[in-house]
Amino acid sequence: MAKVKVKYFGRLRELLGVKEEEYEVGETTLADLLLKHIPERHGEVAEEWKQSVFMTIRGEVAVNRDGTPILRNYYVLVGGKSPEITYRLKDGDEVAILPPVGGG
Amino acid sequence: MKVKISEKLDDLNSLLSEIKGASSEIGAVVIFVGAVRGTGRDGGRVLRLEYEAYEEAAKDSLEKIIEDLKAKYGIIDAIVEHKVGSASVGEDTVYALVASKHREEGFKSIVELIERLKHETPIWKKEVTDKGSQWIENP
Repeated sequence: MAKVKVKYFGRLRELLGVKEEEYEVGETTLADLLLKHIPERHGEVAEEWKQSVFMTIRGEVAVNRDGTPILRNYYVLVGGKSPEITYRLKDGDEVAILPPVGGG
Repeated sequence: MKVKISEKLDDLNSLLSEIKGASSEIGAVVIFVGAVRGTGRDGGRVLRLEYEAYEEAAKDSLEKIIEDLKAKYGIIDAIVEHKVGSASVGEDTVYALVASKHREEGFKSIVELIERLKHETPIWKKEVTDKGSQWIENP
């Protein structure tokens, strides 16, 4: 099992009502975390989460030709770097999900 | 170089003295001050802005921007401070100072610095007006 920390900011922090939380996952990719684990834990806002983070077509998450989900204009960092959505999570990873920025 | 993400910005005059002390070759310091506007995107009267940052990543982002500007324009030094937390109308939220030998590279750098800050640096703001509230995405 891998224990990963997930950080939320801005509208996502507000949506989920939490700044950061931990997930214990088995063989899991970043896409699984975003599509399955997080919305499962936050079932009451799962639909809004999906619509916020992913491109959707008629309510369904849009996917690339290889079947990977397409993020809306969000960045996901793991350990400060931007990996592929197929990245396999490792124990101790810190995932940060960043909405479009608005500083200044 | 100094970058700071904080609930309280330092005194601007102190920052000016600090950056001028970086080198005797400095011939120009260009300063940008960002402040809270009284009218919101929704046309309402702004009550406050609420800023938050992914602090470690925001600092890395600002340091990278300054390093890039040093390499591109040959500026001597830069300081950037950005507020987090609640800010009321008229309050300063950003200080950016660029020190250079001549004005031209300073002017170019300050524009690029602020544009990149607004589009790259992981900082978010929520605008709260008398009509409601919304998270602002920079265009």
